[in-house]
Amino acid sequence: MILELAITLVKIFFIIGVTVAFFAPILTWVERKQSAIMQDRVGANRADILGFTALGLFHAIADALKMFTKEDFIPQGANKILHTLSPIVAVVPAILTFAVIPFGGQYELWGESVNLVVSDLDVGLLFVFAIASLATYGYVIAGWASNNNWSLLGSMRTASQMISYEVTMGLTIIGVLMVYGTMKLTEIGAAQEDFLNWGFFLQPLGFFMFLAASIAENKRVPFDAPEAESELVAGYFTEYSGLKFGMFLMAEFIEMVTIGAIVTILFFGAWHIPFLPTATLLSWFDFLGTSGANLVVMFINVAVFFAKVVFFIWFQMTIRWTLPRFRYDQIMKLGWKILLPLSLANILVTGLVILAVH
Amino acid sequence: MAYFVDRNVKMTWWERSYLPEIIKGMCITSRHFFLNLFGFIPFFLGQRKKRPIFTVYYPEEMVHIPVAYRGRPVLAINEHNRPNCVACGLCEAACPAYCIDIVPGGNTGKQNEVERWPKEFTIDYAVCIFCGNCEEACPEEAIFMSDDYEIPMLDRESMKYNLEQLSVPIEQLKDRVEFTRRMYGKWNY
Repeated sequence: MILELAITLVKIFFIIGVTVAFFAPILTWVERKQSAIMQDRVGANRADILGFTALGLFHAIADALKMFTKEDFIPQGANKILHTLSPIVAVVPAILTFAVIPFGGQYELWGESVNLVVSDLDVGLLFVFAIASLATYGYVIAGWASNNNWSLLGSMRTASQMISYEVTMGLTIIGVLMVYGTMKLTEIGAAQEDFLNWGFFLQPLGFFMFLAASIAENKRVPFDAPEAESELVAGYFTEYSGLKFGMFLMAEFIEMVTIGAIVTILFFGAWHIPFLPTATLLSWFDFLGTSGANLVVMFINVAVFFAKVVFFIWFQMTIRWTLPRFRYDQIMKLGWKILLPLSLANILVTGLVILAVH
Repeated sequence: MAYFVDRNVKMTWWERSYLPEIIKGMCITSRHFFLNLFGFIPFFLGQRKKRPIFTVYYPEEMVHIPVAYRGRPVLAINEHNRPNCVACGLCEAACPAYCIDIVPGGNTGKQNEVERWPKEFTIDYAVCIFCGNCEEACPEEAIFMSDDYEIPMLDRESMKYNLEQLSVPIEQLKDRVEFTRRMYGKWNY
């Protein structure tokens, strides 16, 4: 009992530490540096500690210090309670989704079965989407409580965009569910041990539509109409400063990690290496004993999983710094007229193929 | 012939899907990303002198400025450790902003003394417009526009440079001297 509790606590600390304490600050640096390098610039390189700049990595610390020390401003006529509540409502679901995301398989360590997921829910995938769509409330409340026209416009756009793309997203994953026959994220991951069984090969159209819809859900360029800085100042977080503003940013970056993780699990073989089944990997480390081999394989799998996540974060960043922003009507047209019929057709074709195969 | 842009371009189905342009754009940006990312390695290993990204790291590095650049005007000090200036006042007269102020000193009757020299020579950089007229007017190759552009000060008084602050050895101005000779053709006749 105590051991189980300890294992769960370690897993929680690991996943929260990786996402909130590692990815969220690092991604602020990555975004600046990658955009700079893509555009033949130098990027952040001035913040230093005792003369060491470390390629500008200390800018993350400088940002955090700046956010902590800034004035926490609430505009006149704003609803104080909702204004304070909305960043929390935005950031908590983003962190909460990691409760069901598996970052490794199941391992036998010294008689103890370790499942590398905090909570192995039967409806894991549904839980992710249920929680992630709760974040919409945070953005809508933020615009409503700010007593600012830009904010309200931004939050209205957020609401319409997120509702439109949630439909596509939900219909896209139905294809994946039909193929793997389960909603458990751990089982979907485990089913992709064979390279040709990866979701990308079984659901290629689904992958692209899911990626587009999830980037739209995250409200990043090219779908950043809700916070379009050239039209709406900063959209729904115009009136936010200090750590509340930082929480909105953090929610965005954590959602990027979530998208990377979900795409990896659903479409890119989760923690598996192509053409290298876990049994082969285990046999390489047989000389360490069963538990030792399991431990080594566990570390390899976690590393592979996060390498894939990092790749998809890089991919999202590349998209973000390549494409211009869509007009609002183009976003709606893409969502309702193109992606929605395509996802329905995808379900139909998937069903027919499954019927034909069986 | 009038130039016009045909906005009613007939696009194929594949082009209208917007996908080929996305793929092209992604190729271009990721090509730049990887070229720049791995292009830095030979520089840090010391195999190459230049970085692939040509941004100048300003306080540590300076831009190489072409000789035609007009920085702050300075007084040339010749090999006898005296300014070339004879305090004729032509630059003072040519200056459109009235930023030059000269107090001439004359020969006192001693032997081997120069005829005339500036006792005081003040240029107010807060007023100077860096036009280069003083350089063009000077008959003695005494005043030159240098390549120095870093003259910010905290108050207006310290923007006034006196003779000592203005003096620069003529060896440092060789390129500019050549350039002015070519440009204004003073010694070509």
